[in-house]
This record gives sequence, C-alpha cells and structure tokens, in this order.
Amino acid sequence: MNEKDKHYLVKVNAHLFDFSNEDIDSADVIQTGPDDFNIIHGYRSINARLLESDAGNKRVKIEIDGEFYQIEIRDALEQMLDKMGFNNVTAKQVKEIKAPMPGLVVEISVHEGQEVVEGERLLILEAMKMENSIILHAPATIKKILVKKGQPVDKNQVLIELE
Amino acid sequence: MKKILVANRGEIALRIMRTIRKMGLRSVAVFSQADRDSLHVRFADESVCIGPAPSSQSYLNGEQIIKVCKGLGADAIHPGYGFLSENAVFAQQVEDAGITFIGPGSEAMRIMGSKLAAKKSVKKYDIPMVPGIDHAVTDVVHAKQIADEIGYPILIKASAGGGGKGMRVVHHPDAMLEQMERAIGEATSSFADGSVFIEKYISSPRHVEVQIIADKHGNVIHAFERECSVQRRHQKVVEESPSSIITPELRKRMGDAAVLVAKSCNYSSLGTVEFLMDEKLNFYFLEMNTRLQVEHPVTEMITGLDLVEIQIRIAMGEPLILKQEDLSMNGHAIELRVYAEDPLNNFLPSIGVLTRYEKPEGEGIRVDDGYEQNMSIPIYYDPMIAKLVVHGTTRAEAIRRMILAVRSYKIDGVKTTLPFGTFVFEHEAFVSGNFDTHFVPKYYLPEKILEKQKANAEVAALLALKIWKKNSQLLKVVAHQSTNWKRRLSN
Repeated sequence: MNEKDKHYLVKVNAHLFDFSNEDIDSADVIQTGPDDFNIIHGYRSINARLLESDAGNKRVKIEIDGEFYQIEIRDALEQMLDKMGFNNVTAKQVKEIKAPMPGLVVEISVHEGQEVVEGERLLILEAMKMENSIILHAPATIKKILVKKGQPVDKNQVLIELE
Repeated sequence: MKKILVANRGEIALRIMRTIRKMGLRSVAVFSQADRDSLHVRFADESVCIGPAPSSQSYLNGEQIIKVCKGLGADAIHPGYGFLSENAVFAQQVEDAGITFIGPGSEAMRIMGSKLAAKKSVKKYDIPMVPGIDHAVTDVVHAKQIADEIGYPILIKASAGGGGKGMRVVHHPDAMLEQMERAIGEATSSFADGSVFIEKYISSPRHVEVQIIADKHGNVIHAFERECSVQRRHQKVVEESPSSIITPELRKRMGDAAVLVAKSCNYSSLGTVEFLMDEKLNFYFLEMNTRLQVEHPVTEMITGLDLVEIQIRIAMGEPLILKQEDLSMNGHAIELRVYAEDPLNNFLPSIGVLTRYEKPEGEGIRVDDGYEQNMSIPIYYDPMIAKLVVHGTTRAEAIRRMILAVRSYKIDGVKTTLPFGTFVFEHEAFVSGNFDTHFVPKYYLPEKILEKQKANAEVAALLALKIWKKNSQLLKVVAHQSTNWKRRLSN
C-alpha cells in the first residue's frame, strides 16, 4: 500500500473517523505551547490542549472549548485484526451482570435458576433518587444472585451470574 | 445568637456557613458517613457525623439533629432547602426544644405546605387563582361535574403532592372518570392521602416567582421576580432575574399579590411565592415555598442583598431596616444549575469522580458549589454539582458572559448540564425571551449538541494523529514491539 493512502481509524468518545496519511499531513496545526496547539480546520481556528498521550497504547486525550475528547487510534494492522475477530471481546456471551453505576439495589425481579428472556428486567438500581432497570440483552438462566435488596453496590460490582 | 447548626449538605450548607462566618457567628456542620470529605464539613467550626449515608438515616433524622444542637449549645438551626426545610413537624420540634428555627413559624409552614390550606388562606385577599375548586374531592362523579363546569383541559392534583408528582392532565370529558380514579389511587399509595383537587390546566405557562422578605414585626417586602421557565422533568435548570417579559406595572401587581400571600399566613422569614403566567400575562398564585430557594443567588446579584444574612437577622427578631422603596434592580442575573446528568441521554444521572474540576472566574461570575477536583458525587443525594450565576448590565450581556463562563467551566469524569446550558443560551427563543415551561419538549435537540461535539471531535482526532505520528517516529521500534508482544500474550 502506498504510504500516502494508508488509513487510520480514530475513535473519539462515541464518534468514529477515518483519516488517510494525506489528511494528517495536510492538517494545519501549529504548536503554541508545551501542550497547546492551534488548528485551522475548514477556516475554523481552534485552540486545543494535549492532556495525556500514551504512544504505546495509541491513546490521546485532548481538550477543546472546555470539553474533553478521549482518542483511540487504530492503524491498518489493528483494523485487520478487528475484522478477523481477534480483538473481539464483545461477541463473548455475557456471563455476569455488573452494576453500570454505583447505586442501591431496590428490587430484585428474578430468582436463582429462573430462565429469563431478552428484554426482561433483572433488578432495579437506584442512583440519585432515580430508579434504573437493569435489563437482559440475551436469553439466559440465572445462576447466582450476589446482592440483596437494600444493598449499596459499586460500579462494575457483579450483581448476577448467568449461564 | 452565637452558634448556628446547618442541617444540610453540599453547596447550600457551605453558602450558609460563609454568611454565618461573615456575621461573626460560629457554625456547626452535620454530615452523613458518605460526606466525611465534603467541603461543608471542613469549613464549619464544629462538625458532627449524624448517621449512615441514606438521607432518611442522616439529613432527615430530625431528632438526632436536635440532639446534636443541644449537645453543642447551638442557638439556631438553618435547614437550607430540601431535606427538613419544609417539614412543619420538625420546625415545631425545634421550637419546642427552645432552639430558633431559621425559617417561618411551623404554623405558616403547615398552611403553605398543604395546597388546599394555602388556597383557603389566601382566599380572603384578592389574589388571582387558577380557576378551580378550593375543597378536596374524592367522589368521581362530583369531580366530573366540576370539571365540565371549569372546561377542559383540566388538571387533577394530589393535595399532598409536589415536584410534578401526583398530577394528571385530562383533555376530554370522556377520560375524566377513569383518570380521576387513577389519580386518587396514586395519591393514596404515594402520599397516604387520597384527596385531590381540580383546576383549569394552563397548557403553556411561564413560571415566575416573587422573593418575599418578612420580619417578625409585620413588615413584608418583596425583592422582585425570578423567571424559572426553563425546566426539565418539572425541575428548574435555568433561572433569571428580572424576567424579560414583565413590565414595571406588572411587577408591582405581582409583588403586591405576593406580599398579601405572605401576610395571609402571618409569614416571617424569606419565602417565595410562585405564580403561573399564561401567554396573555395573566398570573395565578401557584404555591408558596417556605424556605431559602435554590435560585436565590440571581436575586442577590441584582439587589446586592445577602438574603441569608437577612434571614438570620429576622430569625434573631430584628426588625427589617429595608423598605420596599430602598430596593432596586441593578442589571440582569442568570443562573445555570450544573447537574451531574447526561443531557444527551434524557438527563439521566451520570455519577463518578470529578477527575477534572476547574471553575470559571472573572467579573460578574459567581459559582456556588460544594466540590473539588477528585471528589466523587455520592449516589444518595441530589446530583447538583454547582450553581453557575452571572451578572451583566443588560440581559444580552449576561447571556454572553454566561456562554463564556460555561466554556471555561471544566468538568471531566461525569457528564453535566453545561452543554445543555450553552444550547439554551444560544437558542433564539431564550435570547428573545419568548419561551415557557415547555422549552425543553418544544426546542431541545440533543443532536445539536452532538453535532457540535462531533465537529470538535474530528479536530481532536486529527490533532491526536499528528501528535502520535510525530511521537511514534521518535519511538518507532519500541512502540511497535511493545504492542505486538502485548497482543501475542493476550491471545
């Protein structure tokens, strides 16, 4: 592949962009301080600050207008691995239900051994005076319930094991 | 009065304690086990842990709070807003214990705490009310007759409800019986009180409220209005003073009405009289809040008053020195409530650690908050991080100042209502002043925020690639090896 045509996929927060080497080379960027940059993009003059840069893991964090952008860079080789499924962890079946946020378990809607279908509510987690239903996204059987009603839980704490 | 216990947490506890200190008095903080690191605990002269994290076992535990108050010899309790601030039973217990409750008497709280009692109380004055009934109904057939007389759409409201809870709109007579039954059922299960009342539903009202200042000697004045129409989930997010649509003549009429509402229940202390306003600028008494209001800073910024100081002096029994004619409005103030909520996902709570927290500073900017960088937002309480308040000589200047202040407010680790604020302050309807309580359903487009973020994300991506390419040329060999090794090990 021509070096000029080499592409990079870049994930920024929830957005995905595809840039070629040519796009990168033609970007109008000047460095204005140790971590400060000015970019002219589509005639817009934008000031940005580099907050974190991890070359090995290809992760960069940038601030523009008081908002923060977490960037992950993937080059051609990694994109190929992604396509072949080597990096694909999401395809694995979910074995555990973890708390998406810290909160208080206000209701457990299932029992151990129960077969549940997609879309069914497993439990209700209360955070900041709001109730959030934890819903199952694929059919499964409840193997073990690890929390009790009224119990506070941390983010990512395992709530329910599935099989 | 020498020592005041503040029965609250977060920004409001801190804001009250600042005034207490300024007045040369001592402050006592109470806190739950989840709040040991909170700023109000560090700021106070004395701090006492009163129980576990859930507010029912700490900030709502009135008995425990009174016990602490007596133990430390505090003379008064300031309840802030929320929690026990509008609990007449608590106010009574405080009074019975010989402690000064910084707020109105428990009797006035009891009257204004019940919508029906409030209506009855103001009836003897000529205060405009939304057409409706002033007695509770539980009989559905009788209710339908009343609704037919008033005319649809009508609103069914639980007498004991509040904050948008226990309300139902009925558009057609056919649906009346069923909706009425449901409303009574809901009120019984939620508030243990099935009484409801019926009134005309004003479909697109503005929410305008008047700040009342009343002493214990019968002097009552008002400190103008606050416009609080921009709301989400029936809760305010943006407030301003003055309202852009109110004329001096209308201001005087509303102010006079609010003063009469306060007089009707022998009110003393700060209070807020809320009005609904229809598109023809007719205003109707809605309810009275018997406490310091969240959005009081906008009034402070245009009047130059310290409302908390006035509230404390009133509680001490001092007569008001201020006369109505002493008060004047200087410029324009706007407040944005900065909540830990995701405006791109239905304003759902976004909790976590404030990995970055930098406040805006500058002329005409005030931030009332209770957080510092690296603090986490507890799950147990209201997710408000701060109130960002700005002042300008004109409304247009205040809006411009607000947009710049939002931009230099840097919060990372949680999603906030800051981008929503920018959307509001740049929106034509807000800028022109032509909006009502339906601003969010009518105009709010999360996609607009997303589009803007995407444009900046694209620039960030390009810059990141440029920086990374430059760095990786310097470290080419090392960087490539390390990623390959990692991959091989993990597969």
